[in-house]
Amino acid sequence: MPASELVKTGIAGLDDILNGGIPRGNVILLEGGIGTGKTTMGVEFIYRGASQFNEPGMIVLFEISPQKIVRDCLGFGWDLNELERNNLLKIVFTTREVLRQELQQADSVLIEEAANMGARRIFIDGVSRLIGNDRTAESRSAFHVLTEGLQRENLTAILAVEASAVNGDATRSLPEESIADTVILLGMVDNHRAITRSLEIVKSRGQDYQMGRHTFRIVNGEGIHVFHRVQAPRKPDRERAAAFDPASRVPTGIPGLDELINGGYFIGSTTVVVGISGVGKSVMGLQFMAEGVRRNERGLMLSLDEQVPQILRNAKSIGIDFEPAMASDLLRVEYEPPQEIEVDAHFHHIEQVVQTFKPKRVLIDSLSTYGSSLGTSGRLFRDFFHALVALMKENQVAAVYNHENPELLGMASMTGGLAMSSLVDNIVLLNWIELGDAFRIGLNVAKMRANRVDRTTHECEITGDGMRVLKREIPESEAGFSRYTGLLSRAPERRLRQPQPQAADGSRDE
Amino acid sequence: MIMLNFSLRAILGYPHPILSLGGGVSLFMAEPSFEEIEKLLAGGAIIRNACDLDLLIFLWRHPRTLLTSEQVAAFVGYPMKEAAESLELFIGAGLLDRTQNALHAARMYVLKLDGPHGSRLKRLLELASTREGRYRVIEVLRPESSSNQPVPRQKLRVLRVA
Repeated sequence: MPASELVKTGIAGLDDILNGGIPRGNVILLEGGIGTGKTTMGVEFIYRGASQFNEPGMIVLFEISPQKIVRDCLGFGWDLNELERNNLLKIVFTTREVLRQELQQADSVLIEEAANMGARRIFIDGVSRLIGNDRTAESRSAFHVLTEGLQRENLTAILAVEASAVNGDATRSLPEESIADTVILLGMVDNHRAITRSLEIVKSRGQDYQMGRHTFRIVNGEGIHVFHRVQAPRKPDRERAAAFDPASRVPTGIPGLDELINGGYFIGSTTVVVGISGVGKSVMGLQFMAEGVRRNERGLMLSLDEQVPQILRNAKSIGIDFEPAMASDLLRVEYEPPQEIEVDAHFHHIEQVVQTFKPKRVLIDSLSTYGSSLGTSGRLFRDFFHALVALMKENQVAAVYNHENPELLGMASMTGGLAMSSLVDNIVLLNWIELGDAFRIGLNVAKMRANRVDRTTHECEITGDGMRVLKREIPESEAGFSRYTGLLSRAPERRLRQPQPQAADGSRDE
Repeated sequence: MIMLNFSLRAILGYPHPILSLGGGVSLFMAEPSFEEIEKLLAGGAIIRNACDLDLLIFLWRHPRTLLTSEQVAAFVGYPMKEAAESLELFIGAGLLDRTQNALHAARMYVLKLDGPHGSRLKRLLELASTREGRYRVIEVLRPESSSNQPVPRQKLRVLRVA
């Protein structure tokens, strides 16, 4: 359908899910239980139409006083009184009985009011009892009469109806659903005692739309924000954009590591740094970001584990001062508490930052915290991570994700319970290795797509200057890793020295 | 909040709503004085009795209604005859528009408070929008008003929008 025939709702995120808007003249049934946001969404549809698209609208109320609606809308920053003064809005209070009679008459006072002001949109709140709670042919007929009355004026109409289906009985359909052109279902999803608002487009005649259950929020001072579900398929043109430059690399900033990985990670690549708590993943991440700052590249660091002041303090302990880069907006460091994370809204935020701030490097700390929040048993984590990987590739970002592997010594699995290794380009393993009476840090580049990789284990050390990867060939007196076998298998053994061939003069070559 | 309310009132010595949110919604509502109510009633309001007041408050909260006159009477809680008289009074005073269509039981009523005395009327309605304020206005409207300075009945009856 041409965009010109679509009515933009103006509600943040909703038009994207509707692929541009709703066909003009559609009758939209907005279903939901009490408190799901029907009235707010209906009023915002009218407000946005009048204030942004110069489309006058009418709001019809049965039980709420217009004065209260005006008051509540001020909380969103919507001045309905001003729209009324400018003849862009009329709020009519009536009863269902009157409306039913009105819409059965060709010279309806209500429709005449709408016509006089040139209304293009109408919102009727609480239609359910207008047509009766029963599911008889009579109630279906009453609703049909209502929709015909609205269509005579080519009004794009939202009719809010309380739906029992929300309370768990999704199999019972309302008679109005088959008559309405578009059906939008609002709901509340119980997610481990937290409640998330959900929105689903059940049907919409004359257009394609994104199916599935999306989430939305009602934000003070703004209104409704709809976030498409993170699993929603991306458009093919976005996937094509993800073909990345196979030559450009992003140095890690870890002395010794870039030599092992041929100069750095590819741009657009996905790297997971795996290791137990305290082994140095965050330090590596801080140096990765600091290297970006040094190269005047934009960076984004998103932490679910530590708040920003603590991250800055940690960075200072290894000689990195992020504050000037943050002040000049070269670097953004953000913290989001992982409790009750709303994955659609969270992903939307990351997407917005990546698309507008355009970082070259992103560090996310950590995947294991996402796993704890989103759960590892279902598909949600994997789908979310897949969306993140696709987003970063599309925007040519070199992304590093820290992941805590809980195994103290050695590793039975690279990514623990999170099924993601197939989505990852590079995997760097960090391990504790017990030699003598000390834990030492071992680093192994276990995977690096499109690269020749040296998979030997290297020792790392962390000092006041950060982390560095030690050269493998170090003097025997320091008992370097080259003197051992089985470093990652929980049973390191020192190599037996091979007897050196005796020289002709009887001496040995040391 | 209550502390703030009292302290602000004490500082300002002002017995009226301290913060108006528009649409007749005010924070920190204080009790209106009888003197102010009398002044507002005398200065251009048309209100004669409790039915007039309650109907006007209803219309103020629902400035564009599509109702039958029976429904209007039921919403404000007065006999049909009394409510109809009040409606006619407001229409005659130019405070209210009513659509005319004999074939329809319901009429569209539109309140107009933009006349010369609109601001006084709005102020009166704001005062009367609280339970206490409404009682005070009704008390002043009663001939046997118990205020310190009773308002003569005749004075109340001549109030009319110019």
